[in-house]
Amino acid sequence: MSDPARFLFATLCGLVLAGIVHLSAVLAMPWLSERDAFSRLRPTLTADKSELVAAPAATDTWLPRTDPAVAVSACAYNLDEGPVRISANTGALFQSLSFHTKGGGTFFAITDRAAVRGVLELVVMTRRQLDEALAAEDEDEPSTDVRIVAPRGEGLVVVRALAAFPSLRGAAEDAAKSVSCTIDQPPASQ
Amino acid sequence: MTIRFPAALPDAPRLASAGRRVSASLRKRRSLSTAALVLYAVSVALLLGLGSAHWAVLADYPFGKIKAGAWQAAPRVGSREADPYARAVLARTAEIPLAIGEGLALTATQDSSGRTLDAGCAYRVGRATPQARYWTLTLYDADGRPVASELRRSGFTSAEVLRDQDGGFSVVIGREPKPGNWLQAPESGRLGLALRLYDTPVATGMANLDPRVFPSIERLECGP
Repeated sequence: MSDPARFLFATLCGLVLAGIVHLSAVLAMPWLSERDAFSRLRPTLTADKSELVAAPAATDTWLPRTDPAVAVSACAYNLDEGPVRISANTGALFQSLSFHTKGGGTFFAITDRAAVRGVLELVVMTRRQLDEALAAEDEDEPSTDVRIVAPRGEGLVVVRALAAFPSLRGAAEDAAKSVSCTIDQPPASQ
Repeated sequence: MTIRFPAALPDAPRLASAGRRVSASLRKRRSLSTAALVLYAVSVALLLGLGSAHWAVLADYPFGKIKAGAWQAAPRVGSREADPYARAVLARTAEIPLAIGEGLALTATQDSSGRTLDAGCAYRVGRATPQARYWTLTLYDADGRPVASELRRSGFTSAEVLRDQDGGFSVVIGREPKPGNWLQAPESGRLGLALRLYDTPVATGMANLDPRVFPSIERLECGP
């Protein structure tokens, strides 16, 4: 092979390799990033209450492009220790819960409209935990829990509460902070 | 016709050894340049691959945009179907997107005529928004932070915006105070607007949206 042909061949190889490098870099970014939302909220894994990420009109938050009318709080979960029960009391404010997996991707969201008697209660579990719960369930008294299957074990629950008027900002902050996320203890086996 | 090959040349051993020497020296030259070419190919791969990956996630979500007049949104970012580029952008920015069931976030960096939003100009945003339980309109500065104005106001919610008799509204953005809904623009730089529709049926439609039901962004006058 002549030298120009070899150079061309090397360039082509370089371009093909560049494509592979590009795709692997893009795919790896969510897993290698230490500044994504989940990594920043990792300390809340052990918390029982959602922690405030951005108060309404806050300027000291890492969350980019926040809505100044909305209080955002979150708690991270890890389903290895068991299903996670999320419970939120809703009031007059618009409130929503969204469920995000580590590495991006939102798998569920619900607003306060779905609340039953002012309470939104959900259980996040893996497919396996759902199967176990269904197997352990009494057929005559099926559980009334709203169960959500998470695609991955680690993720975030994000709470948003909207203050329609500036005077409601305190209430929105309180509503966002008061969502409990606890590990659901399996009922004692008889 | 037959071709006769000489059975053996008289100086065949000499020729063969000379040939070996030539090919050996050729191989030597080749092996050096092959190493250089491999190095070249690898550096092209790393530079182009990493550079393009960095560039692709540097700005906005590259795929899955829907448009409505001056507004655009990437609703799939808040769903299970978020593409790998969107996930990489989320990892870089640490943004938590609005899920499809929560609402829809639209952004605008240009006015309705396609000119970049600039703090030196005044704009009127308004008349109507799609159906939603609440909406918020927020003005951002060039760095993507809600503008910090003396009035401590960087946006309006649907509940607090002042409306006229037929239920429409108009928000004026500019340096000079205006009666009605006024948002103070920063001293200089580009502007960004975000319209967030909370609890809206719009988010379920994935095709391009009807621009007539979205607020238009009209440029009024520009300062010196």
